[in-house]
Amino acid sequence: MNFLLLLLPSLLSALLAILVRPFRSWVSWTNALVSLVAFAAAFNFAGHAVTGTAVSVFGPGEFLRADGLSALLMLLVTGVATLTLFFSPGLGRQTRYDQSQLRRYHIFINLFIASMLLAVAANSVGIMWVAIEATTVFSALIIPLRLTKESVEASWKYILIGSVGIALAFTGTVLSYFDFVALSGRVENAMNWPVLRATAPLLHPEVMRISFVFILVGYGTKAGIAPMHTWKPDAYGESPSSLGALMSSALFAVAIYAILRWKMVVDACVGGHFASNLLLAVGLLSILIGSLSLVLVRNYKRMLAYSSVEHAGLICLGLGLGPLGVFAALLHLVNHTAAKSMMFFLVRGIEAKYLSPLIKDVRGMLRVMPWSGGLFAAGTLALIGLPPFGIFISEFALFRAGFSTQHHWLMGTALALLAVAFVSFISQLNKMLYGPVPVDVSVGEVDGWGWMMPLLIPLSVLVVLGLILPAPLAALLNQIMEIVSK
Amino acid sequence: MDSNLFAQLSALGSSLALLAGIALLWRRSLASYVQAFKWQSLVLAAMFFMVGYFGHDPELYAMGVFFFVLKVIFIPRYLRRLEQRVGAERESQPYVNIATSLIMSGLLVLLAYAVTRPLVAVSRLPTRSALPLAMGLIFVGLLVVVTRRKALTQVVGFLVLENGIALLAMLGTYGIPLIIELGVFLDVLMGFLAMQVFVYNIHGTFESMDVEQLSQLKH
Repeated sequence: MNFLLLLLPSLLSALLAILVRPFRSWVSWTNALVSLVAFAAAFNFAGHAVTGTAVSVFGPGEFLRADGLSALLMLLVTGVATLTLFFSPGLGRQTRYDQSQLRRYHIFINLFIASMLLAVAANSVGIMWVAIEATTVFSALIIPLRLTKESVEASWKYILIGSVGIALAFTGTVLSYFDFVALSGRVENAMNWPVLRATAPLLHPEVMRISFVFILVGYGTKAGIAPMHTWKPDAYGESPSSLGALMSSALFAVAIYAILRWKMVVDACVGGHFASNLLLAVGLLSILIGSLSLVLVRNYKRMLAYSSVEHAGLICLGLGLGPLGVFAALLHLVNHTAAKSMMFFLVRGIEAKYLSPLIKDVRGMLRVMPWSGGLFAAGTLALIGLPPFGIFISEFALFRAGFSTQHHWLMGTALALLAVAFVSFISQLNKMLYGPVPVDVSVGEVDGWGWMMPLLIPLSVLVVLGLILPAPLAALLNQIMEIVSK
Repeated sequence: MDSNLFAQLSALGSSLALLAGIALLWRRSLASYVQAFKWQSLVLAAMFFMVGYFGHDPELYAMGVFFFVLKVIFIPRYLRRLEQRVGAERESQPYVNIATSLIMSGLLVLLAYAVTRPLVAVSRLPTRSALPLAMGLIFVGLLVVVTRRKALTQVVGFLVLENGIALLAMLGTYGIPLIIELGVFLDVLMGFLAMQVFVYNIHGTFESMDVEQLSQLKH
């Protein structure tokens, strides 16, 4: 029942957007309001996980399943999705899109959300793959909403790199199923995660190693881990900013989720170090490429994309650093989701005001848009890891995990690179906040300050997580740690 | 005797499929790519029936039919129509020339043998000797995507990569569970349709399918 409440709202919203033509703004209002139901369902799952009731399953062959880890992801996805739908073009505010573009947007954004939710709710790693592959198609179709050379280029690179990458993840999935079949014959539910996890100690380590390499490359492409990150700045830079918010926070989290699920299986088979060492290597490389690219960046959406590459690296480091590291990585995932989605929602207003994607054209934001400018500054400070924001705490926990597991050189290098990112981010922020207001830009928020109110939600998440770890979240994370270390 | 024939047939089918994949690397016109993809898919569809027969699994017959309709009839027809609409552009200057890409494909097949060694050692199936060929086909598909410049060639390369995975799943496990296989077919179909839209977009905005021109986005 709860699963239906989770998945149906976005599917029905997509159906509504298909049926109503031409597009009407009440469709997007309905979509936004209905998505609150899915959020409530996710909340309910999280509540179940915290109170420790039995893991919920649903459908023939236990098709859907929600343990603590899935519940956390459902919260993140539905949370960002709801905000996104409230900030989508077409709710009566001024927009650059025409009716047919808005209709297309609402069809595919809801299908995109539905497939992300299916990915985290699916019991079988095969269905999880099918759903994640579907996210590529649906999100790619929204990028060239307005046909320009740049958006066409970005969407082509995104769908090609994304599809090929995710195909490799499927190769990895097939290889581990192959190993399962070689061991115990064909079983219908062999790809269900609990079955796979329970059988893992008996599987052949030499096959599972190959399998994990394919899976890490595949889902790593979706997560934008270096060196498979090349689509990320293009896609984030050219997509409508509300899609950018979903891709940079929710989709990213789903890809990390897939890697973590598989890591648990592979760890149970191969032993702790193989998967961890791979994750540490790609993690450090991502931080390196992310921070150095931030120095050169000229476009503020691409700046956020490179920051995503850097944070993807941090999360991979965390996943590779043992239980403490995994805890820190999950906390970081929550913080990053809040911070990055807020930034992309703000970018929408900045784009509409300055009509340019370049940092050099955005000047005097604090005077032009005091609300947006202030929030943008807060978000940037959160992203570079300053207190009192949550990312400071999760990065602190992450580095403590690293130093306590004797990875001194690794963590030292990562810290130095974070300092580079810190400096370049601050200097870009200074350029955007201060300076003379360009002559053709009028002073005042784009949509009035009332539209800023929902943005206080991610901001308060960041601030609260920077000060305390609320008991329910701590319980949920502990619940997940039990799954991870079982 | 029976399993001996099975092993030989699967090795033969996989070799033909790999050969059709490598054909993409030495031909230049889109029509020949579509032809190669179609023959490859036909071989794979026949192999679904073959594995279903020897492996005693009627589910594979159904998959064979799906595969045939999707990849032998539907997709080649759409590829041809696309070609007519956007004009037949030849792959005249790939990023890596033909001789080099053929040598690379040879090396990739060797690599596939190295990668799949543990798989062949673990498996007791009569089809196991063909596993490296399936992995080789995956690598060759990847090579086509990476080294060719026309958007449509890249699409065909991606489809060949998908065929390689289907072959690997068929030989290694006699087919993954039906529900997942159906999901995969659906994804391939949607992915293909989306890519087709983008090929039109590229053609419409750049008046060419050469992805070399897709170089506006920097920093």
